[in-house]
Amino acid sequence: MGKRRSTVVIVSSDDDNDNDDVFTIGRNCSSSNSKPTLRNSKSVLNSKSRTAYARPTAKKARLSHPLSTSAELLSNFDEYKFLSGDLADDFAGFQVSTDSRRLDGVESWVYKYRPRSLEEIAVHKKKVEEVRMWFEEKLSIPKQGSQNYVLLITGQAGTGKSATVRVVASKFGAEVCEWNAPTPTIWAEYVHNLNAGVTYISKLDEFENFVERVRKYGMLSSSLSGSRQPMVLLVEDLPVASGRIAQGRLLNCLQLLVKSVQVPTVILITDYSAGDSADAGMRHWEELSSSLESAGACKMAFNPITVNSIKKVLSRICKQEKCNTSSEQVNLIANASGGDIRHAITTLQYACLRQEKKVLVSSEKCTSNLEAKVHDHGQKDAGSSLAYGRDQTLSLFHGLGKFLHNKRDTECTISHSDDGFYLKEGFTRLPLKMDAPEKVLCQAYGQARPVAEFLHENVLDFLSQDAIEDAWSVVSYLSDADCLLSSVHRTVTRNYEIENVIQSAAASVAVRGVLFGNAHPSPSRWHSIRRPELWQAEKSTRSNMHEMERQRLDHFYTLGLANISAICTDYRPALKWLGYRASLPLEHADVNNSLIRDNSLENDELVDTYPQNQAGDDFTDDDIEEW
Amino acid sequence: MLWVDKYRPKNLDKVLVHEEIAENLKKLVTEQDCPHLLFYGPPGSGKKTLIMALLREMFGPSAEKVRVENKGWKVDAGTRTIEIELTTLSSTHHVELNPSDAGFQDRYIVQEIIKEMARNRPIDTKGKRGFKVLVLNEVDKLSKEAQHSLRRTMEKYSSSCRLILCCNSSSKVTEAVRSRCLNVRVNAPNNDEIVKVLEFIGKKENLQLPPGFSARVAVKSNRSLRRAILLFEACRVQQYPFTNTQAIPPMDWEEYVTEIASDIMKEQSPKRLFQVRGKFYELLVNCIPPEIVLKRLLSELLKKLDAELKHEVCHWAAYYEHRMRLGQKAIFHLEAFVAKFMSIYKGFLIATFG
Repeated sequence: MGKRRSTVVIVSSDDDNDNDDVFTIGRNCSSSNSKPTLRNSKSVLNSKSRTAYARPTAKKARLSHPLSTSAELLSNFDEYKFLSGDLADDFAGFQVSTDSRRLDGVESWVYKYRPRSLEEIAVHKKKVEEVRMWFEEKLSIPKQGSQNYVLLITGQAGTGKSATVRVVASKFGAEVCEWNAPTPTIWAEYVHNLNAGVTYISKLDEFENFVERVRKYGMLSSSLSGSRQPMVLLVEDLPVASGRIAQGRLLNCLQLLVKSVQVPTVILITDYSAGDSADAGMRHWEELSSSLESAGACKMAFNPITVNSIKKVLSRICKQEKCNTSSEQVNLIANASGGDIRHAITTLQYACLRQEKKVLVSSEKCTSNLEAKVHDHGQKDAGSSLAYGRDQTLSLFHGLGKFLHNKRDTECTISHSDDGFYLKEGFTRLPLKMDAPEKVLCQAYGQARPVAEFLHENVLDFLSQDAIEDAWSVVSYLSDADCLLSSVHRTVTRNYEIENVIQSAAASVAVRGVLFGNAHPSPSRWHSIRRPELWQAEKSTRSNMHEMERQRLDHFYTLGLANISAICTDYRPALKWLGYRASLPLEHADVNNSLIRDNSLENDELVDTYPQNQAGDDFTDDDIEEW
Repeated sequence: MLWVDKYRPKNLDKVLVHEEIAENLKKLVTEQDCPHLLFYGPPGSGKKTLIMALLREMFGPSAEKVRVENKGWKVDAGTRTIEIELTTLSSTHHVELNPSDAGFQDRYIVQEIIKEMARNRPIDTKGKRGFKVLVLNEVDKLSKEAQHSLRRTMEKYSSSCRLILCCNSSSKVTEAVRSRCLNVRVNAPNNDEIVKVLEFIGKKENLQLPPGFSARVAVKSNRSLRRAILLFEACRVQQYPFTNTQAIPPMDWEEYVTEIASDIMKEQSPKRLFQVRGKFYELLVNCIPPEIVLKRLLSELLKKLDAELKHEVCHWAAYYEHRMRLGQKAIFHLEAFVAKFMSIYKGFLIATFG
């Protein structure tokens, strides 16, 4: 089922969708050239047709593009260039014509081999059973007013959430009616629509309307179609809400849905891995799911699929496809997938294609790749790791822990004489017990500025107490990194390419500086990683500055447009002394008092918030050790 | 009213320090042709006083009738509109503003707002000058781009508009701007001059000044006239009649910097460095500019330092002061300086005392 469907679609669940829905390789393609599709959200739910909603012509046009053009389109994006080119190559070897809407030869195995029966689902039996029980309960028991009809399923991508729901629903012969998020409107499209007189409807609005309709007329379509089939509502893509207000709206809307919907409803929320948790959007989803749960929704969490069941599925597919993939390779794919079955199957399909056309990727390299994952020096063949496996992600704290602890081998194993230059005694360091710092940064999604700030805040704890020389070299590297970072803002016109280079250079300088400078790390012991105090300090500085500007305005005669530094360094301390004078004109006393008060307040705040920060960000040494 | 304001000379004839400059300015104005001016000098040397007096000389008492406005401006910058809010101090003849308050948007301020103001020629009533004066404070804090556009504005609107620029260090003003202005260097007043001013105020306020008292205030003021007068008034509030043993109230942040300096001298370790960082934050939160903190810290450290280290320490202070300009987060560079100092000092201690 294409994710890009523009409207609410009614699909009969027993129908084989394979025929009408084509999955082009590289969902990236389809998402990157999302064409404006006609949106007609009103006439959907009560449309009588039980077959798939007639697709707007635009979509057809898109699908009839030969694959090569979409690959060309893609080539704008450097990152995908290599991959897509490769893919196109491989598939071209198969002489696939994508001109027809049917991709007879290559059909995505993910869809071809999606589970048809409960036994085929790779998800843990117990979970499937739970879902089944829930459906049984909701579908068989006659309606009562107070019953709650919402099931909330969370889990990482590719853990079979929607597959489970579909299969279970079809087992009960229920009709799945789903909400798929409308195609995002790109800016150019928006402008075009605006000129054409089409008003833009926010995706959130659309969703709200939908929920409203469902609440009011819930079973309308089912009754119209005349069948006695039960109906299940599946909400798969919640609209993206950014900012407090929008998030609040979404939350309200969903809570309403939870409270009042009379149809069995399944809401799917995809968890993101811990590595992404640094950004605030994540917390929003967590909040959402917990508040929905408290509103009465039944929550189930799907875990990543175990390696064994992925292996089972993969070998089943291999058998059916009659391709001779070695069990080693299946193992490898299963291990590298990180519990994402969709990814595993796609990788398998890709691997099989490669086999027939190209030389087999030497399996030794692959296995060694896995073993060396923990302990390599970034010189691994990039090609083999690209072929399989999702990129590993790390949490930011994990990465920082690595840098700060600065674990090194006890003896130098690589001889320096090979690369032809010699370092003085003072500059040699033992090899690092981790990947190249840049790679770790990349895995932890470390951005230069926050990484530098976190390192700056915490690094002094990790230095030996005698090593002030080390402290200087660490801090001076951080100062270099800061200079690099701010040079970004110096350029007149923004050049993102240059900025990227500078950013990564700065991050690299900061991290490597910390690693290099900390020549005598203090013995590893319990350390908490604190949030940079700098942030709080900057915030207070800004608010104080603002306050001062405001007061300068109020008492302009005294302070005039004197610059802030003069006010802070001269006027304020003097006014503090003058505050003792009773005969001081009222306004000055005011200035004075309020300044002092602000000041003390600010300090209190600092003190108050600080322990909190510590408590919030405490990490036991065990955690860091373990990583 | 503070004494600083009360005894600020209102016109060019009454100034007590920089009399020569005042005389020249007066001549300049009476000759009817006033070039663009650039006043530069350390804080508390009397730049603003001279500018205000000059404006009064040009336009008469009406230049003193100023009002403060917090104006919002809309600047059309290519594809988007930028809204900037800025405080201005204006009379019918002049407008004063701090373009650097706009932060990184300063070049829009300079380009658009100044252009707009300069375009509005004041109504030419008889005998009055046909130009408006723009006083721009803290020009040295403007970005390079802003200074460039300032240069263009100066040329384009020189017939209708005069600029008076005011800054601490002329080295941070681009050559192009400097060469288009008459540069007026305003020195920090020396101690004798400060004493003269303080005694003048003392006489006006009918105060009994013990001999040498005003000299002590002057020394304490670090050659800043503003601070001298403020301190003088603070002394008056604390204890009057003055005695020669009377303590002159210190500036609290300076005390704090002294404390930091002695912390640094006492122990040199990463842990101490961390404590010092906390104190720096305290200063920065109170909006004390980091450059001033660094300068003050250096002078405190130099007081206690062996002569053979002084040169090296000064070198590093200058190095990190420069870094601070290049970078964004002052704390990184302040801390780097302290770390460097600690490591130098520790090495020295080990070398001399073993």
